[in-house]
Amino acid sequence: MTTKHFVNKAPFDPNAAERLTPEQERYYMATQWQLMWWKLKRHRLAMISGAVLAFMYFSVIISEFLAPYALTTRNTDFIYAPPQTINFFHDGEFQGPFVYGLKYKLNMTNLKREYQKDKQSIQKIRFFCRGDPYEFWGHVAARVHLFCPSVTGTLFLLGTDRLGRDVLSRIIYGTRISLTVGLLGIIFSFIIGITIGGLAGYFGGWVDNLSQRAIEIIRSFPELPLWMALSASLPVTWSPILIYFGITIILGMLDWTGLARAVRSKLLSLREEDFALAAQLMGAKPQRIIIRHLLPSFTSHLIASATLSIPSMILGETALSFLGLGLRPPITSWGVLLTEAQNMNAVELYPWIMTPVIPVIIVVLAFNFFGDGLRDAADPYR
Amino acid sequence: MKYQNTFLMFAPVFLMFFSIAGDAFAYSEAPNLAKKVAAGKLPPVDERLPLNPRKLNFKNLGLKIGKYGGSIRMLMARAKDARQMSVYGYSRLVGYHPKTFELEADILESFEVKEGRKFTFELRRGHKWSDGQPLTSEDFRYWWEDVANNKELSPVGPPRIMTINGELPIFEVINRYKFRYTWRRPNPDFLPRLASASPLYIYRPAHYMRQFHEKYTGQDVLKKTVKKYKQRNWAALHNKMDNLYRNDNTDLPVLQPWVSISKPSASRLIFKRNPFFHRVDPEGKQLPYADSFIFTIANNKLIPAKTGTGEVDLQARYLRFDDYTFLKKGEERSPYSTRLWKTAKGAHLALFPNLNVNNPILRKLIRDVRFRRALSLSVHRHEINQVIYYGLAIGGNNSVLPESPLYRPTYRNKWANFDLKKANRLLDEIGLVKRDSFGIRLMPDGSPLHLIIETAGESTEQTDVLELVRDSWLKIGIKIFSKPSQRTVFRNRIFSGETAMSIWSGVENGLITADSSPAEFVPTSQQSLQWPKWGQYYETDGKAGEKPTGEHVVHLLELYQRWKNTATQKEKSKIWEKILKIHSDQVYSIGLVAAVLQPVVVSSQLKNVPLSAIYNWNPGAHFGIYKPDTFWFAPVGEDRK
Amino acid sequence: MFSYLIQRVLLMIPTLIAISVITFIIIQLPPGDYLSTYIAELQSQGENVDIEKIEALRAQYGLDRPMIQQYGLWVLGMFQGDFGFSFEYQLPVSEVVGDRLLLTLVLNFATIIFIWIIAFPIGIYSATHQYSLGDYGLTFIGFIGLATPNFLLALVLLYLANVWFGTSIGGLMDPEYIGQPWSTNKIISVFEHLWVPVVVIGTSGTAGMIRRLRANMLDELQKQYFVTAKAKGLHPLQALLKYPLRASLNPFIADIGNMLPQIVSGSAIVSMVLSLPTTGPMLISALQSQDMYLAGSFLIFLALLTVVGMFLSDIALAYLDPRIRLGGSAEK
Repeated sequence: MTTKHFVNKAPFDPNAAERLTPEQERYYMATQWQLMWWKLKRHRLAMISGAVLAFMYFSVIISEFLAPYALTTRNTDFIYAPPQTINFFHDGEFQGPFVYGLKYKLNMTNLKREYQKDKQSIQKIRFFCRGDPYEFWGHVAARVHLFCPSVTGTLFLLGTDRLGRDVLSRIIYGTRISLTVGLLGIIFSFIIGITIGGLAGYFGGWVDNLSQRAIEIIRSFPELPLWMALSASLPVTWSPILIYFGITIILGMLDWTGLARAVRSKLLSLREEDFALAAQLMGAKPQRIIIRHLLPSFTSHLIASATLSIPSMILGETALSFLGLGLRPPITSWGVLLTEAQNMNAVELYPWIMTPVIPVIIVVLAFNFFGDGLRDAADPYR
Repeated sequence: MKYQNTFLMFAPVFLMFFSIAGDAFAYSEAPNLAKKVAAGKLPPVDERLPLNPRKLNFKNLGLKIGKYGGSIRMLMARAKDARQMSVYGYSRLVGYHPKTFELEADILESFEVKEGRKFTFELRRGHKWSDGQPLTSEDFRYWWEDVANNKELSPVGPPRIMTINGELPIFEVINRYKFRYTWRRPNPDFLPRLASASPLYIYRPAHYMRQFHEKYTGQDVLKKTVKKYKQRNWAALHNKMDNLYRNDNTDLPVLQPWVSISKPSASRLIFKRNPFFHRVDPEGKQLPYADSFIFTIANNKLIPAKTGTGEVDLQARYLRFDDYTFLKKGEERSPYSTRLWKTAKGAHLALFPNLNVNNPILRKLIRDVRFRRALSLSVHRHEINQVIYYGLAIGGNNSVLPESPLYRPTYRNKWANFDLKKANRLLDEIGLVKRDSFGIRLMPDGSPLHLIIETAGESTEQTDVLELVRDSWLKIGIKIFSKPSQRTVFRNRIFSGETAMSIWSGVENGLITADSSPAEFVPTSQQSLQWPKWGQYYETDGKAGEKPTGEHVVHLLELYQRWKNTATQKEKSKIWEKILKIHSDQVYSIGLVAAVLQPVVVSSQLKNVPLSAIYNWNPGAHFGIYKPDTFWFAPVGEDRK
Repeated sequence: MFSYLIQRVLLMIPTLIAISVITFIIIQLPPGDYLSTYIAELQSQGENVDIEKIEALRAQYGLDRPMIQQYGLWVLGMFQGDFGFSFEYQLPVSEVVGDRLLLTLVLNFATIIFIWIIAFPIGIYSATHQYSLGDYGLTFIGFIGLATPNFLLALVLLYLANVWFGTSIGGLMDPEYIGQPWSTNKIISVFEHLWVPVVVIGTSGTAGMIRRLRANMLDELQKQYFVTAKAKGLHPLQALLKYPLRASLNPFIADIGNMLPQIVSGSAIVSMVLSLPTTGPMLISALQSQDMYLAGSFLIFLALLTVVGMFLSDIALAYLDPRIRLGGSAEK
């Protein structure tokens, strides 16, 4: 017998070789953003960081609900109380989550407040309970908390400060200010950076030269004096909210140079591209070309840069508070909390006062990793 | 026989000779000075001391005879703090006694006051400046005629305190060591100013300063010196070089126990013993005992920490009450003890409603005494005391302290108890009956009663206290906002009437005696935060500010004038009583707590530092009146107390 | 190349002028002047202040002159080498700064070296072992330093240094050695104190350096020439060091200019917390008390250093990287 040739009996399809499998089709038809997202998903650290950030920003909305105590609640009987640990078992029996009560004594020889666990007093933690009254975002009165201390007891998971205020609650409230300062600052930075960088990159010539000099000047200045001078000149008559905005503007104003330079260099190369030329020939105005055609091609880079700049804003806020120039009590931000912890008393005697540094570290790390992931993902063709 | 007679005849002479000689050789000095004398670099001690040095009465002061040697280490926060050496050294023409607060002659050998207006001063013969040149009336004449009354050195004339009723005193030099100031009316502030922590220096080392004065130095030489020190003109040069308080000129001769030998910008300021210091201990040992005093400059926030690790021998400045626990803990590792001295301010913290506030509605309210009384009644002083001061302070009005001879309980306690019901009633009486949805009272124009209390933004203590005040004032329907500011702006806003209420420390000296000046209780200065414009009116003789109104305020001014012109103690006491009564009635400032304790860290080796004392700026000069020149180091191993 | 140099030098001049104007404005921006701050301070401490004497002082210091005149006098003075007079210290500025400059330079150089020593190996390792556990771990550590606020970290390390090693708190050496001539003991004491600020300031700088090095190396590692080199049998490490590393050194040199102002700023706060006798705390307190000449002249000096630094690093870059040299100003 001769070898058999195999002939496919199906009708002939001239496009068969070129047809894409469904997965391949999805890949090539995907938009830039979808590609970015897929790449980002693979970067596990970035995804975790993203989730953490999302959670923290979400908590900003419901701070009052999350915090076991209201912002201004003081317990004069429990000043500088150490953190209470959550226990589940007492004498071998399961009791549900609870804390032991605190017994307080003032040591008169060294004026130290001494606290001891009172094993007799079991204070069960309540959930979805009625606790300290608060005003949701300053307007709606309510009393519901996610979790609160037992009716007559205390729940100081991170201890209390010198006025007897729960540190954990203050951190949660501080999140609102600290996280939004960074965001607003970035928006300012963005606007200024893109405008100047865009103009410089597109028009070149003297516009470019001038902006380059300006950038150089600003970059060669140590940040600190600029911050100090600008903060010190904010009128004291401004309300805390205005000062808060002033600080964000100041932080943003000094940050745009990096962004501007990135925008400029990208534009310089991109404007030689064919699609830009085509748009020009079709009579589009420079503004339209920049915004509709050039910018979108590297927005991903911009976003990545922005994300990487937010941490420096948050740290900048803490530094300004430390110098006494930024936000000050009675406004509560992480910077304010850390400034209050900035003394040897805290380090040696009451270390729990320093716990606000943990969310700062977490947020800064999260932004950095997330931003790294974004930037890696922004170049899908690697 | 014959010789016996001769001997007996001359015996008294011999005895006298020996006793004089005994006196002459009764003084001794520090070993390192003795070495210099032996090497011929210094004159012997009896030539360095005045003929009649100031012999301190240790028994009366409760001090022990000490040993020479050692350096007293202390921490300071700024280069400017070099002036604290002049405060602690406390070498003054007249000074306060540490227990009775009476004025005693120190640099002066004696002083005489007639009718409160004629001051005759006598110097100690042979008293020398720190460079060995004699101190004479010429140094006082030089200041009066060639500095204070020199148009270029003092364009606005001599310091205000030298002017009474617009007239300057007559200054006369009686002899080389005696001189006199005569006014037409009494000048009761003159001696206290000479004894204050930051004193009035009515003398200069003329022999040194002449080289900078155009009257005594030729133009060409002077011009060269001006250029050398990069000054604008000779007046600027003279003013730069002659500051006896600042310790920024190491060539300037002084009369202090320790003399600066370091550049002002150094991070370690060293002050070495003055070999010509005029005080001796009961055994004739020339003071000071300690060889040197060292200020190390460090960031003020680190000073408690550095103190706690044993880097100092003596420290009070930059230590606060809430550092006490930390300092006590440090005693386990380093050899020092933490003492608690009492402060003597009328109030450690007080609220000052601004009677000169611009806003007319607020002004009307603040000037209504019922409003101020209500505010004072609703401050929970006991809580503030417990929470922040461990209950160790005393609540009460911004007024005289219990240790003062003029004290009466009603001065501190009237309108100072915690009575919310009465407060609410008073506010209702004024007419603030309507309230908004949050329970805050409405003012006559319908807006909620929101008070902004401004702070200088420097201490968390003030913010904390305001938190406590806020909560209790909410209960009478007043909402307060605390607004941190910056010191200059804070004060300027009060002076210009933009601030409605501020928080600051109260009366500087709560240990009031009949002789203390009531200036702080009367609108005499812009610095009084409750009536800055009335005070300014007085300060500028009516050229600026506002004329005081209100019968009680005007009465206070009258009482002040009377006090200034009275000569007898009894009269002065009576006037004081009237003033204090008006204040307790009218609640011009809302005192919070007083007698807050000040931690003082003392090395275990350092002796003669009081166990408990009063830590006050004026009178007191912090350590000054306790005479740091008598502090001494016991060798290691001796009694630890 | 030469014309490039000339062009850059000429451009520096207007930059410096603009910097001087901005510096002057910055210092004058907060309300009041040195004397008003000084008065407020004295008054609040209960000291007596003769207001009229202060006014006389104001005229003497020239603070009553119009702004432009003050600025002009200051700039003219600087050309003559006279940097003005510090009100706070009552000394010429050059004397106040001079003493502290040496220690500042020591601190900053130590920090830069620290950064390089740490960042280099970590950056290379991260790039060659991307996404590995080691990569994540090391980058994490590098970033912790960046994320922790400097002032708090400094305080904690200060405390630990005292408890573990007995190092005295704050300062760059034990108090006994201040102002004394240099001896072995003094040098040892300086090192004992130096590590805290260097670690604190350095850790925040390493993260950025690691990231940049890593990114650049990643770029280079993909390029053809590297693959070819390895295919041809060159030992991977050798290939690594000879080629991609050299190419990615770009940012290190370019960053020197950048690093200077950052290190000065970052070290100012840390120096303040640690009470170091460097120029940072001096600058901060000068700005707070509006000690005009001290703050202004020093800022100009810093800006000058940075501009010159950036200029030098541009030159070094141009020398190392022919593309820049020949491309020159490829800005159309």
